[in-house]
Amino acid sequence: MVISTREKNDILIVDIEGEIKRSDITDVTLHQWIKQQLERGKRKILLNFEKVDFIDSFGVGEILASYISTNNLGGKLKLVKISKKLFLIFQVTMLTKVLEIFDDEQVALESFFKE
Amino acid sequence: MTGKRVYRLLSRVVDLRPEEASCTLLLFFYFFLIQISAYIIEPVKISLYLRWLTADRLPYAYLLSALLIGLAVALNSELLQRVRRHFYIAFSLLFFIFTLILFWFLFRLRWPWLSLIYWFWSDLFMVTSTTQFWIMVNDLYHPHQAKRLIGFLVSGGLLGGVTGALVASRLALSLGTENLLLICPALLLGCLVLVYFYRRLPQKEERTVSTRAETGKPAKSSPLATWRAIRASRYLSALAAIVALGMIITTLVDFQFVSVVGRTFTEQDARTSFLGSFLTILLIFSYLFHILFTSRILRKAGIRMALLIAPAFLLLGSVAIFFIPAGYLIHWAVFIKGTDKSLSYSLNQSVRELLYIPVPSEVKYRAKVFIDMFVSKFAKGLSSIILLVGFTLLHFNLRQISLVVIAFILGWILLNLSITREYVNTVKRNLKIKWQDADRVINESLDLDLTKLIFDTLESKKRSSVLYAMNLLDLLKTEKMSPELKKIISYKADEIIARSMDSVLESGGQVLIPDLDEALEHGSLGAEVEEILYLSSYQEVMRDYLDRVSKDRSREAETSRMEAAKALGLMEAGSAVTRNLKRLLKDESPDVARYALESAARLKQREFVPLIVRHLGRAATRDTAERTLVDYGTKIIGTLKDYLSDKDEDRNLRKAIPGILARIGTQRAADILSLELKKQEEEVASEIIEALYRLRSRHPNLLFHQELIVPEIIRLIKNSYQFIFQLKEIKDKKEARLLFQDLENSLARTLKHIFELLSLIYPMEDITRAYQNICLRTKKSLDYSVELLDNILKKELSLYLLPLIEDLPLETRAQRCRKLLKNLEKLSLGSEPGDRKTG
Repeated sequence: MVISTREKNDILIVDIEGEIKRSDITDVTLHQWIKQQLERGKRKILLNFEKVDFIDSFGVGEILASYISTNNLGGKLKLVKISKKLFLIFQVTMLTKVLEIFDDEQVALESFFKE
Repeated sequence: MTGKRVYRLLSRVVDLRPEEASCTLLLFFYFFLIQISAYIIEPVKISLYLRWLTADRLPYAYLLSALLIGLAVALNSELLQRVRRHFYIAFSLLFFIFTLILFWFLFRLRWPWLSLIYWFWSDLFMVTSTTQFWIMVNDLYHPHQAKRLIGFLVSGGLLGGVTGALVASRLALSLGTENLLLICPALLLGCLVLVYFYRRLPQKEERTVSTRAETGKPAKSSPLATWRAIRASRYLSALAAIVALGMIITTLVDFQFVSVVGRTFTEQDARTSFLGSFLTILLIFSYLFHILFTSRILRKAGIRMALLIAPAFLLLGSVAIFFIPAGYLIHWAVFIKGTDKSLSYSLNQSVRELLYIPVPSEVKYRAKVFIDMFVSKFAKGLSSIILLVGFTLLHFNLRQISLVVIAFILGWILLNLSITREYVNTVKRNLKIKWQDADRVINESLDLDLTKLIFDTLESKKRSSVLYAMNLLDLLKTEKMSPELKKIISYKADEIIARSMDSVLESGGQVLIPDLDEALEHGSLGAEVEEILYLSSYQEVMRDYLDRVSKDRSREAETSRMEAAKALGLMEAGSAVTRNLKRLLKDESPDVARYALESAARLKQREFVPLIVRHLGRAATRDTAERTLVDYGTKIIGTLKDYLSDKDEDRNLRKAIPGILARIGTQRAADILSLELKKQEEEVASEIIEALYRLRSRHPNLLFHQELIVPEIIRLIKNSYQFIFQLKEIKDKKEARLLFQDLENSLARTLKHIFELLSLIYPMEDITRAYQNICLRTKKSLDYSVELLDNILKKELSLYLLPLIEDLPLETRAQRCRKLLKNLEKLSLGSEPGDRKTG
């Protein structure tokens, strides 16, 4: 998993590349990385999954843990361009009811300002 | 005399139905006339043979008769196949009338060997006329009918025998032996008139199976073909063996008797006088025994017991010879011969004829003629050879002959026992299973859970993409998704996707559109979802949401509550979030409650049970609640029992519990239901009976305690009697027509319950066979069912049950039930809690 970031209007856009899975844990997990960003004062985070090839339940756990950490600090964590399969899994698990998921980055960014 | 009068008259001496009166009376007189003739022809035969050819040449007469009778059998079989029944009998009678007159004329010519021909002729007359009579009986009656009436018919024959013997003994001196023959043609002409009326009687319905119809060729009727047909049937083989052994024993006993009489009475006149008195007393005794006991034994003890009575007495008599002093041998001889003959004239003849009744008609008549005429004559020939070898060559004394008799009697007993089993099987073959148990068929041929899931999935399409996706996942897990099913499920996928977009578009803009059809191909989806659901982070994320949704009772939030209820079932049992299910189980929306119940079925937490049980009293969710509790399985059997026993609980709730216990299907469930049966009020008891029946049907190995089931059957029989009394009371009241129908329905329902209970303690297939054929209510199906039940049920049960089933006029039925009710009250006194309140 390779993480790179961009920032637009105070929103941290996290571009994730590769696979997020238990068997491929890097030195820093997604959740740890997000926590680092939160410690740096970032409160608006948009995770971009456009270049994520595969994500397993461990990866979903990382996303959820990141969501909780962000939420607990009064921040917002949203998702964009997740795969069809992941969306179906989120539907089955009702996570679509809690997480905000977008297909278009611009729309996702705009949503931060609408609140 | 009108039919009603005949019925009234006959019903005093025999248990018959109004429509049976004419034919029964006709057959009675036919047999009466035939037997008068036979008992005139018989003494003439012996007398003339002894006069012209002496007693030393008797074995030759036996052998000749045995050999020639084979030809007669062949001719008879052929005629039976080719000629109509009444023509065949009428021509036979005409033949015997003509030949009787011819013999009377020829005896005047004083040819010594004519008496040997007459010996054979008289044997032919005896077997032919008797066989023809029983064929007429077979044509007209079904087994249970015959069981009621056969005793009366045999008594006609016995009375004829007594009359014939008296006529012969009284008129022989005044008319002369040969002239006695001229009485018989007049009697046989009387038979001819009765055959004319017999032709008009309705024959019983028979199976339509016909060898001729199937093959286009007439059925083979040669003696060899008949012999093969008998060999091919276990039942007919046993029947033939019984007849043969009975004949051998009779001949050996007769020989012992004659030997003892010969030794005791050396003077000819004294011997003749003794024999004459013995024969008369024997026939009168046989008649009385027959009148008093035959029908009762058949009705109350059944065929098995009736078949064992003669062998038991003969065995006793044969053993007794070893303990009897020589001076008292004549008493022993009278006892053993008297037993053999009197039982053979009465009980044995009735039972033997009954045994022929259930045999398929296409083989019955040929086999009967062959067995009665050929096999029995062959046995007689064989026994004369045994005697010639044993007595003449080996010089056996009476005791050694008794040992031979004992060996044959033991074989006879074994055969009699075996044929009883075969008899029941043969009756069963006449009762086809008419329909399969619907509950069982549905369970075996339909996957109800899958069907329900498919409907839920399709239904959820319209409501929520989340629900749809979750249902889809469930379907996926079943691994029963055929391509056709996938097509149906993904129908109108665009619409669903559009809805799914709406549901997640909380902040506007575009969302991902997952391709569900494609997702269906991913087999690992279920495992991944499960792993996510078990994540603590997931539970944390969802906790607030689920808490909020489950508390929101608004109509708008109904779909969200349904989704929550469904999702909770996918989570780990015992986790904090699953407690929300308690709230959802109390939800007033049936749709939400249904999903909550299904989730409870997955989680199987005991704390949910009281909330699930409440739904048993609620029509909209009862079915799902039942399935949920079934999924809990054996661990909640005790809890269910508590609810079932608690009379303060809602009755609808309690009525649902027997069905759940039946579906759990364990021995404990069966025991609880059996125990609760007597404690419950009518409505719940009715559910328990049906549940017990389902248990038995699905789990044949479960045991049901007779001591719990039989009292309940007795109680239901008593209830049925009461319905019959009430039906009789209002039968002619026009204003009570609706009540009459209502009572008839109640009676039918109670009868169904009786059979359901019977199937718990008797072979289920037999009881089902009998019940279904009773429901058909044709004369044949009813009669064979009654016969089957009479043979398989304990006498104390069949005695009280059969009057409910038999084809009886309502008045007669009520009368019988009233008589039986008194005994029944005594039977159930002390063991019964009394009548129940109906719901």
